[in-house]
Amino acid sequence: MTLYIIRRIGSILVTFFLVSVLLFSLMRAMPGGPFDEDKMPLSPAARAKLNAQYGLDGPLHMQYLRYMWGVVQLDFGIPFQSPGETVTDVLARAWPPSLVLGGLGVLIGTPIGILLGLAAALRRNSLIDYSASLVSTLGITIPIYVVALMLMLIFGVWLNWLPTNGWGSPSAWILPTAAYAIGSIATFARFTRSSMLDVLNQPFITVLRAKGLSERQVVFRHALKNASIPIVTLFFPTFVLTATGSIFVEKMFRVPGLGQYFVSSIEKRDYPMEMALILILTLLVGVAYTITDISYTLLNPRVRVQNDEH
Amino acid sequence: MSTEYSTPARQALQRFLDNRSAALSGAVLAALVIMALGAPMIAKTDYNDQVFLEQAFSFPSQQHWFGVDPLGRDFYSRVVYGARISIGVGLVSAAFSLAIGLPLGALAGFWGGRIDWIIMRLVELFSVVPPLLIAIVLASLLGGGTLNVILISSGFLWVSTCRLVRGQIMANKSREYIDAARVLGASDSYLLRRHLIPNSISPIIVGFVLAIPQAMMIEASLSFLGVGISAPVPSWGQMINEGLEYLFFYWHLGIFPTLFLAITVLATTLFGDGLRDAIDPTLKGQ
Repeated sequence: MTLYIIRRIGSILVTFFLVSVLLFSLMRAMPGGPFDEDKMPLSPAARAKLNAQYGLDGPLHMQYLRYMWGVVQLDFGIPFQSPGETVTDVLARAWPPSLVLGGLGVLIGTPIGILLGLAAALRRNSLIDYSASLVSTLGITIPIYVVALMLMLIFGVWLNWLPTNGWGSPSAWILPTAAYAIGSIATFARFTRSSMLDVLNQPFITVLRAKGLSERQVVFRHALKNASIPIVTLFFPTFVLTATGSIFVEKMFRVPGLGQYFVSSIEKRDYPMEMALILILTLLVGVAYTITDISYTLLNPRVRVQNDEH
Repeated sequence: MSTEYSTPARQALQRFLDNRSAALSGAVLAALVIMALGAPMIAKTDYNDQVFLEQAFSFPSQQHWFGVDPLGRDFYSRVVYGARISIGVGLVSAAFSLAIGLPLGALAGFWGGRIDWIIMRLVELFSVVPPLLIAIVLASLLGGGTLNVILISSGFLWVSTCRLVRGQIMANKSREYIDAARVLGASDSYLLRRHLIPNSISPIIVGFVLAIPQAMMIEASLSFLGVGISAPVPSWGQMINEGLEYLFFYWHLGIFPTLFLAITVLATTLFGDGLRDAIDPTLKGQ
């Protein structure tokens, strides 16, 4: 088990390294820097000083090493788009809104989705089953901004019940959170349903029923416990991806979160900001998958045995 | 079911038609394809004709079914032309991703070993970073435009085709008939061309069809963010983004492209799911 965890951490580090090298070279290879002649007519000496200040001088591999040395100390440099603060400052300011909205969306959506999927699996081919599969198909296939736009139109424009933008009052949180939650509801409903159906068809359930256990005990004590294993695999990655801010939801509801920086930083050639965002996201996703796999191993003795044998 | 003329293809067609949502989405999809192909005939004006400037922003009416956009263009015509972009980008990207994923998957599955290891690490790299995010980075660095959007989306979608083909070939290559063909002197490339790839054809078709809605989503999302299809070529994603600005006063500019995008993506996905269940019932749920 320890060996397994060490190996997984190693593979995260390798991926992290590859992604950072690829991105770093890609961004430097693109024509156009932040202090180009056409953007800022400066004397050569002044430009050289600026380049040195932002770590844009010297050979490329030295720039990379210097940058990564900073990253290890949580220093991501100075964002070109707002030189008055550091990237870490911007992250500290913009992350909380994303974390609140995305985190709330997943935390609200997941239990609803699981309950819906459970109900659908227990009442197969009933009205609730059909509505659950309708919701999950729509929620999975339709892009989130389409869902968000419909929410805005119905509750913001036509009914005029809720504000559709801003971050100030908690009432402005409702619609973006709902947009996130619908995604989670759809995903978890579909997974729970299929996983429950798989388990309910297994011989041990028949044995439990034959033994005379009540249906409630069969479903909640035994079936749900076994069916929850694949559901766990979904939770952490979904949480990370949503809580780092959706570019779309935040753009639509004008939330001052992390999402906007993903696009604006590339447009402004703000390498430090963009690198920081993607590196953090890669790391978080890698960690989320690792936690998932480890908890999977802990929950499921069958997988544990296999891993120990390796 | 007639047993007399029952061929596998006919059985598959029967299974497909028996699946109500698949048959319905097939019909919807056919209508959308006709709309895309016949856009010049179905639309009232060209997508970029600013002939209704005085009626700009007007609401849906008998003359303008979906209203008029801010630049005085008939919005219905623009939405109709939008189908060309969406379906075209979807099909071409799916074809490109097949062209990349099929050979790589075949290589990895057939020879295994070091080649497999390298290809699988590549696949893994693509699955750790959220594809849409990297697509956005690439699109803004390389610039938008139809060709770039196609290249970027196929650059991500080949991964699932590669996985499918690899799995199928790995499962088939140790079968007896392959050994038999080998004993009869078949070369590796002959085995791949004549036996292994043709035997993986159903997952390949399914992978192809299911890549289409994903490519449509990538295109719409990039265009929505303003880094995809460049104006004035109409893309639904781009129109949704524009419509968002006027949502409070001119709701029609948001809702029509939204509905069309949603229906198209949904119909393509359901069509692909139905096709999968019809061609190869054993793949169900994958």
